[in-house]
Amino acid sequence: MLSENDDLDFGRALVHKFFEYVQAGDPDAILGLTSAEATITLVPLGIRGLMANEGVAYFASLASAFPDLIVRIRRVFTATDGTAVAEVTIDGTQAGEFLGVVNQEKHFDLDQAWLLKIGPDQQIVAVTGYWDQNQLYRRLGVKRLDRITITALEQSATV
Amino acid sequence: MTTTAVMSRAERATRTVTEFFDAYRAREVERMVECCTPNADFRYVPFEVWTRQRVIHGDGKVCTVGKAIWVSLIDSFPDLTNEVLSIHSDEDGNVAAEVTIGGTQSKDFGVIACGGGHYDLPHLFLFHVDSDDLIDDIVCYWDNVDWKTQLDWLEVD
Repeated sequence: MLSENDDLDFGRALVHKFFEYVQAGDPDAILGLTSAEATITLVPLGIRGLMANEGVAYFASLASAFPDLIVRIRRVFTATDGTAVAEVTIDGTQAGEFLGVVNQEKHFDLDQAWLLKIGPDQQIVAVTGYWDQNQLYRRLGVKRLDRITITALEQSATV
Repeated sequence: MTTTAVMSRAERATRTVTEFFDAYRAREVERMVECCTPNADFRYVPFEVWTRQRVIHGDGKVCTVGKAIWVSLIDSFPDLTNEVLSIHSDEDGNVAAEVTIGGTQSKDFGVIACGGGHYDLPHLFLFHVDSDDLIDDIVCYWDNVDWKTQLDWLEVD
C-alpha cells in the first residue's frame, strides 16, 4: 500500500509522463495514463468530453500544428484529494492550421495550468486545462475574435 | 484547544483561500489584502496590455499591482461576485481554486469599452499559503476571448 508521500511522488511522476507524451505528440501514450472513462475539459475551447475522443483529437491537432512543440513544467503539486496541479509553458512554431488559425509559421509560447485528477487505481480520471486563448491568437497573428481565419489570411497576403 | 490546532495545513490553507474569496465576494479589497503577506507575489497570467512601446503584464505584488487591479475591476463591475467551485490543497500550503467570477460592466475596463454587458467567467487561481496562514503568492488563469466575447469586445488587442 502506498503512503501519502508515495502518492504525492506518484502524482508528480504522472504529471511529468503526461506532458512528456504531450510534447512527443503521442495521444495513444497519453491515453495509456488515463482510465477508459476519463474526461477532458478544455475551458477556453468550451470542450467537455472523453479523453478517448475529444482529448485525443485536441492533442493530435496540437502536435500536428506544432511539430516542434516543447512543454516546460514550471510547477507541480499534488493535493490531498488526489488532484495533481501543473503550471506549464508550451511553445512551438506553427506548421499547420490550428483551431481555425491559418499557418503563418509564427512562433508562440503560452502559459497554461492543468488539473489532473488521479483515481484510486492510479490512473488519470479527469483532465482540465486553463489558458488564455487571446494570448494564443495574439501570438499567431489574429486581430479580431470574429474573424480568426480571415484576419490571419489578410496578414499573410500583405507579407 | 482551538480549531486551528487540530486542522491540517491543507485544511488551514483552504480556510484562508475561502476567506479571501468571501472578502472578494463582499468587494472588500482591504480584507482581501489582509489575507496576504505584506510582500505577497501576484501574477494574473492573461493580463497583458500591449502598447506601442511595451507590454504591461499583470505581474508584481499583491499590495501594488493586485490591489490596483481588484479596485479597478470592482469600479468597472460594481456587482462583481464569485462562486468557488472547487478547492484542492496540499500539506505544503499549495492551493488550486476553480472559481467563477462575474459582474455587470458600468465603466470602461482597460481596452474593453463599457457596453453594459454581463459576464460569468471560469478562473483557476493558484495560491501558496505560508505557515502563518497568510497567502504569499497568487497566480490566476482565465480566458480573455470568453470574457471579451461576453462583453461584445472583439478586438484581440
